[in-house]
Amino acid sequence: MRVLQALAIAFCGLVATACASTPSTPEMIANNDPYEATNRDTLKFNGKIDRYFVIPTVALYFVLVPEGGRRSVHHFLENLTLPTTFVNDMLQGELKRGGQTAARFLINSTIGFGGFLDPASKMKIPDHGEDFGQTLATWGVDEGPYLMLPFFGPSNPRDAFGLGADVALDPTNYIHYKQHLWWFAGQKYFTILDLRAQTYSTVQGIQRSSVDYYASLRSLYRQLRENAIRNGHPQKSGDLPDF
Amino acid sequence: MRLQTILRRAFLAALLSLSASLFAGPALAASPAEDFVQQNIHRGLEILNNKQLSTEQRRSQFEGFLMGLTDMKRIANFTLGQYRRAASPGDIAAFETAFQNYAVAVYQSYFSKYAGQSLKVTGSQQRSSDDFIVVTQLIDPNDRSGQQPLEVDFRVRTDSGKPVVVDFSVAGIWLALEERDQFTDFLGQNNGNIHTLIAHLNDLAKQFKAS
Repeated sequence: MRVLQALAIAFCGLVATACASTPSTPEMIANNDPYEATNRDTLKFNGKIDRYFVIPTVALYFVLVPEGGRRSVHHFLENLTLPTTFVNDMLQGELKRGGQTAARFLINSTIGFGGFLDPASKMKIPDHGEDFGQTLATWGVDEGPYLMLPFFGPSNPRDAFGLGADVALDPTNYIHYKQHLWWFAGQKYFTILDLRAQTYSTVQGIQRSSVDYYASLRSLYRQLRENAIRNGHPQKSGDLPDF
Repeated sequence: MRLQTILRRAFLAALLSLSASLFAGPALAASPAEDFVQQNIHRGLEILNNKQLSTEQRRSQFEGFLMGLTDMKRIANFTLGQYRRAASPGDIAAFETAFQNYAVAVYQSYFSKYAGQSLKVTGSQQRSSDDFIVVTQLIDPNDRSGQQPLEVDFRVRTDSGKPVVVDFSVAGIWLALEERDQFTDFLGQNNGNIHTLIAHLNDLAKQFKAS
């Protein structure tokens, strides 16, 4: 655990150094977004990737796969993340939630036909996600400055490190077979496709109603992450501002 | 809750939290703040379900309902953040009007997407003698997935003599906080020029009303 913490801190330092060439204004510092200029450029880059590559692929996905099929793919992909969620539940000392994750995985992988169906939800076993970024947060690692990662989107050094660590923590990645790399790449590809398919109209709505889309994404990401780290529990008294 | 599930549901719902509240069903109220939210939910439901109203009449009544439920000036002033201190009273008044038009237009444009869903008051948290968070759940009667209902919270203040909603939270996202982050960043990018923000809000409101 201490090794992982040290690695996280080292990674944060590396990212901070890489971005240090961009001058920061007092407003950027106050927003904990000292690399805002670079981040905004990265958002534009991501927008082009989204527009010219991801969206056409999503459109094709909608044409070729009916809604029921897309829902099954979503369940299947979510089921594949449960081993990582379970490891993170355990690392956070969340035994009850870990039990729920294990139960969901066992039920959906068997009577849910490999995860394509979700009978666990119908049995009222609650669904939740955990990742190593959240685990680091529960260990007291600070999020660091806001980052817009190429291809991956909103993040921060802690969560960016967690992205890589989750690959290492996923027990299924230690099962080696001939097509392992292709399986891994295919899983990631369909995860992006599934996520974008599900958030298409939502993202469009945010873009349409936002005064500043970049700032809106940053705020939404931070609030969502804080809520996920608290496991949806209410904020402490001092966490909300006065009106 | 899984991040991508939250993203999918909360981004839209963050914009719709208010409108969604209008379709609520009855529930037992256990505190004045809960009672306030519950009663207004019923009032909003009556407006939206009244088929005798024209689109324009419904829009007008919805705006009146929104004004009665929320303290729009207070929310507007909050969203200006540190830029409020340097703004003149005239600019603040103009911003309050622009913000109100923007907020009403955005909510109105989306509320129909949540038709048929209901909001159930499940409890409340008292933060101080005049500051409450009322917890509700968004119930979709057609949802057979077994997933947990989306949580929608209302922050109610009573310090001005009558209860008013000052912020809404969907899946942990507080809308006024998100708006403040947007507006202050926008002002930072535009040398703190509040007139640019007012013009932008007016443009967005027009686009939503036209669609």
